[in-house]
Amino acid sequence: MKVRSETLNKSVTRRAFAIGSLGTAAAAALAACSGGTSTASSSSASTSAAASSSSAPTGAAATLTLWTDAERSPALKDIAAKFKADKGIEVKLVVKDFASVRDDFITQAPTGKGPDIIVGPHDWLGKLVQNGVVAPVQLGDKASLFNPVAVKAFTYEGQVYGLPYAVENIGLLRNKKIIPEAATTFEEVVAAGKKAVAAGDAKYPFLVGLDPKQADPYHLYPLQTSLGSVVFETGADGGYDATKLGLDTEGGAAFAKKLAEWGDKGTKVFNSNITANIAKEKFNKGESGYFLSGPWNVPDAVKGGVDLVVDPLPTAGDKPAQPFVGVNGFMISAKSKNALAANEFVVNYLSLAEAQDSLFDQGGRPPALIESFDKAAADPIVKAFGEIGTNGLPMPAIPQMDAVWADWGATELKLIKGGVADPAAEWKKMAANIAAKIKS
Amino acid sequence: MSGASAVGTLEAESPQPPVKKQRKQHAPDSVLGTLAKIALLGIVDAVAVYVLIQLASQHEWLIFAVALAVTLVINWIYLRRGGLPAKYLAPGVFFLLLFQVFVMAYSTYIAFTNYGDGHNSSKEDAITSIQLAAQERVPDSPQYANTVLEKDGTFYLLVTEPDGTAKLGTTGEPLHEVTPSTTSSTGQATGVDGYRTLAFTDLLQNQQAVTAVKAPISDNPADGSLATSDGSTAYVFAPKLKYDAAADTFTDTTTGAVYKDNGQGAFATADGQQLSTGWKIDVGFLNFQRAFTDPNLSGPLWQVTLWTFAFAFFSVLTTFALGLFLAIAFNRADLRGKRIYRVLMILPYAFPAFLSGLVWSGLLNPEFGFINNTLLGGADIPWLTDPWLAKFSVLLVNLWLGYPYMFLVCTGALQSLPEEVDEAARMDGASAWRIFRSIKLPLLLVSIAPLLISSFAFNFNNFNVIYMLTGGGPRFDGTTYDVGATDILITMVYKVAFGGTGRDYGLASALAIIIFIIVAVISTVSFNKTKSLEEIN
Amino acid sequence: MSSEVVPQRNTNANGEIKMPFGRWFREKGWRHIVAIVAIIFSIFPLLYVLSAAFDSSGTMAGSNSLFSRFDLGNFQQLFADTERPFGKWFMNTLIIGLVTSALTVFLGALAAYAFSRMRFKGRRVGLLSLLLLQMFPQLLTVVAIFLLLNYLGDIIPAIGLGSSLGLIMVYLGGALGVNTYLMYGFFNTVPQSLDESARIDGASHVQVFFQIILPLVTPILAVVGLLSFIGISSEFVIASVVLTDPESQTLAVGLYSYVSEQRSENWGVFAAGAVLAALPVMALFLFLQRYITSGLTAGGVKG
Repeated sequence: MKVRSETLNKSVTRRAFAIGSLGTAAAAALAACSGGTSTASSSSASTSAAASSSSAPTGAAATLTLWTDAERSPALKDIAAKFKADKGIEVKLVVKDFASVRDDFITQAPTGKGPDIIVGPHDWLGKLVQNGVVAPVQLGDKASLFNPVAVKAFTYEGQVYGLPYAVENIGLLRNKKIIPEAATTFEEVVAAGKKAVAAGDAKYPFLVGLDPKQADPYHLYPLQTSLGSVVFETGADGGYDATKLGLDTEGGAAFAKKLAEWGDKGTKVFNSNITANIAKEKFNKGESGYFLSGPWNVPDAVKGGVDLVVDPLPTAGDKPAQPFVGVNGFMISAKSKNALAANEFVVNYLSLAEAQDSLFDQGGRPPALIESFDKAAADPIVKAFGEIGTNGLPMPAIPQMDAVWADWGATELKLIKGGVADPAAEWKKMAANIAAKIKS
Repeated sequence: MSGASAVGTLEAESPQPPVKKQRKQHAPDSVLGTLAKIALLGIVDAVAVYVLIQLASQHEWLIFAVALAVTLVINWIYLRRGGLPAKYLAPGVFFLLLFQVFVMAYSTYIAFTNYGDGHNSSKEDAITSIQLAAQERVPDSPQYANTVLEKDGTFYLLVTEPDGTAKLGTTGEPLHEVTPSTTSSTGQATGVDGYRTLAFTDLLQNQQAVTAVKAPISDNPADGSLATSDGSTAYVFAPKLKYDAAADTFTDTTTGAVYKDNGQGAFATADGQQLSTGWKIDVGFLNFQRAFTDPNLSGPLWQVTLWTFAFAFFSVLTTFALGLFLAIAFNRADLRGKRIYRVLMILPYAFPAFLSGLVWSGLLNPEFGFINNTLLGGADIPWLTDPWLAKFSVLLVNLWLGYPYMFLVCTGALQSLPEEVDEAARMDGASAWRIFRSIKLPLLLVSIAPLLISSFAFNFNNFNVIYMLTGGGPRFDGTTYDVGATDILITMVYKVAFGGTGRDYGLASALAIIIFIIVAVISTVSFNKTKSLEEIN
Repeated sequence: MSSEVVPQRNTNANGEIKMPFGRWFREKGWRHIVAIVAIIFSIFPLLYVLSAAFDSSGTMAGSNSLFSRFDLGNFQQLFADTERPFGKWFMNTLIIGLVTSALTVFLGALAAYAFSRMRFKGRRVGLLSLLLLQMFPQLLTVVAIFLLLNYLGDIIPAIGLGSSLGLIMVYLGGALGVNTYLMYGFFNTVPQSLDESARIDGASHVQVFFQIILPLVTPILAVVGLLSFIGISSEFVIASVVLTDPESQTLAVGLYSYVSEQRSENWGVFAAGAVLAALPVMALFLFLQRYITSGLTAGGVKG
């Protein structure tokens, strides 16, 4: 689900530095003296941990290691137990901090100490393939059981690299108490929002969380695509083509102008001071009728008393408003010593409806398995997100995407803040910067 | 020795004769001490022997030699008569060498490689990965239910064609029709006379061998071969790329393009088409060369360097000044509530820094933040987006994060100052400020000066506070690079080395080493200044 | 309180109540005002953390009304989650933190003693190297440490990846870092004449170290111990690479999992955990304060 790897990468490192710097400033023991005291307290725990984490060098190991995050771990318990009962192989669920899974996996896989399976979003694939740490997965006839968007997202350079389990995208969250009727264009949305403000039903016509450092190209993407600008064009094989940056187009320029118009110095539909946290809080408190966000904010909104519906994404131009679609799935290490068991578990067990159902129950992300999705779609909110997703564009998995986020976000922020004389030129400059970075 | 502190005072004021070299007049160790020493050394040696045996059994002879040498050195240090300093330093230095010097050495080595995204492991790993990824399922080929058989240590794949014929094959032995001895209820062949059918547990025992089996489906290898990844399902694969080990090239089986080792850790065609997965190679000084020629770095370099120094200097100055001031203010035995004051004062230090960073960026939000909203009555001050205010904000937050540290240290330091100085001076009628300025502060600096230098060094590389609050922004106008008014050298390095199309550890290490050299030179100079302080004692 | 108030000075021990306000203010009153201002500065931002901890709606805006809701939902969630054993993390952190900081203090003090009291070849170079080592940017440490522990683990499984002993050893690599530097500065303020006279009385160097020097520098030992403990208990990067098993993780690593998912981060639970994680630090500080404030003048010079 974590789609913006660049940001992620940054946040990891900043924490890395924050805490690492403190940590290394501390520490010490006399080898001799410590022998007795320090080991006594920790040795029992440490030896057992060490023993279980170092998998046997040959194929005889009857344990699969799966790196997951805390949220998904409980959902995998049952299916892992079933696998153990059927096949006698234990699946050890190692809860990793989500943000470090990708990079730790890349570092650790070549040593043979990495996990056999990881869970993550499809847009990691470019990096994982580039570093040679992930192995293709043969879905065979099972592929047809899945949402085609999900399988397509996990296809990279012609190969499928993962078993998808959830498809995720944003939608337009609307508080029915404040705005009873759905609107289709962004103009109508803004008008309805403003009317609610004028009537005193709301304080803000529209909410979207903007990062104070780099706005939010991910959330604003459907507006951009509806004006006819994508980040990368697709190539002949249906995948994104890194050489065809789609930002520097007429649509892009139009989007830049619109951002300035909607921004702080314009109509204030977007407010650069409203962060994701503030937006969420305001929406949950009923201070706005609209919130451009994803399924992850639904439970708290409902808990906060919002009478929630999810509307299709509004269009700002004459093209469809296409959001980024993030697909989560299970990937197998290219260096797994238990490749056979890992494939058995991933392809034949995690594709079962019971596994996908249970992952949905825990995470609330629309399942990728059609059977499970149909069950989950009894909930109109899940259904609405799912329908928006069928129209979406997979998040680019190509490594070049990393070079895009920083400039893209900073420019959007600058335009929203206002005071830019020529938004189109600013946008063009951004596109040129990104193109230069990709080339180097 | 009850008058110790008075003695100390006198000494502090009068210059000492130069310290004698290596005193030798220590009394011999007590019996207890000797026994303790033998016991400890015995434990160390026992561990060492265990390690040496392990190393020997794994034939790690180079490391064995190093470990043996280290063990001998440790024994020599503690068994000989002289060399007292080494006895005190050895334990710490041991860990230092293992976990810090090694890390530095490794980073230095990385700086001479292209290690990073796309160049992550060895060439063999890269070739295996490319081959793995190049195995594409032949379009429209059927999916086979598969059974794995074994005969004389060779594994065979047994599949049933849609028309019901059973076929058997293995690597180098194309599929051929066989008569199954057993079939499942669905008509799938599950056994052949003379072969042993593998149960799932047998499969597990032989995972690598089984998944490596590639049975050609016909005598023409171009038709593809059968392989299984889970033991129960097999597909027909044809490699998109073929590796020729002798020539060390990959050939695209459809276009005929030849990918050669391009000398830069990747396979590439003559016209520059590269395969995704590369490997790590040594690149000599290339990263350093890039560091000096990259316009991303040379462009705003001076502004960033200047601000780095200013940031480090002011961070030390403000945290130290505030920490010291507060330490002095609460350094009174008869001050009520000072215990609770102190505890509350160190709290900023006890919370995770990024949590605090998040809170501060909320507090500094121009429209919703507490500072503008409540404290300044709805002012609209762009704390984090105006270049100068952003610099100020970063320093302010760093002050908040860092002063508890200085406060603690200064509190400790003040305790070791002899009170008599204070009293004597007070009787002479000196003002409190005078006492502080000419007596306490110089004494304090003896203990704190080394720390201030080290604190400067820490802030010089204080990545976290910058990244948390501003991410280096607001960006400079007029340059196309992702560098801003609050960027310090280390954040700029990070953006340059990791902000492109992937993480480039090689470049990052090279840049880190260059920065390290800069700080090291400055620190060495300031360090030599501390000599005068040290001589007080 | 009584054990802590050290008779540093007795001149005005009985003057407190009778003191006229002006004098009281000059002597002590301003200190209280400074304290209040400083405490507001210190803890105000943290009130937002506290407010978020007691608000199960899960946001952390840092801008809106404090304590607009008050419930214990986050704390319940923290303890109810069997996947994330908060109690275990807490104990792991305490054990790793206390062991490491105790050893840090000891190793650091040994080295500081040598640097401060002995003159040997390479002494200043050694000091300088210690300083320089800390300045090496830590951008790449994790990769190297991972590879190192991976290798060590093959030889001695007990200190390999996944073991807290291995983690403690990695932390000990920093024993001679900034903290030793700090202690060195302090050792320098202890008059050499003390050791001299002790030696004349027949004490060995070990006795001088343990019986003369260490008691005199207790404040800095306590400070270094506390700083180490804080550092270790919030160290994240190395711990997250070394400790793979949720059962063996530390608070910093475990809690971080609540906010590492962008967009579905749970700041409320994280804040609740952070508040609880700060308690041992405060407790340790309260415990150590008596040592921090008992210096030379505390009569510890008896030898």
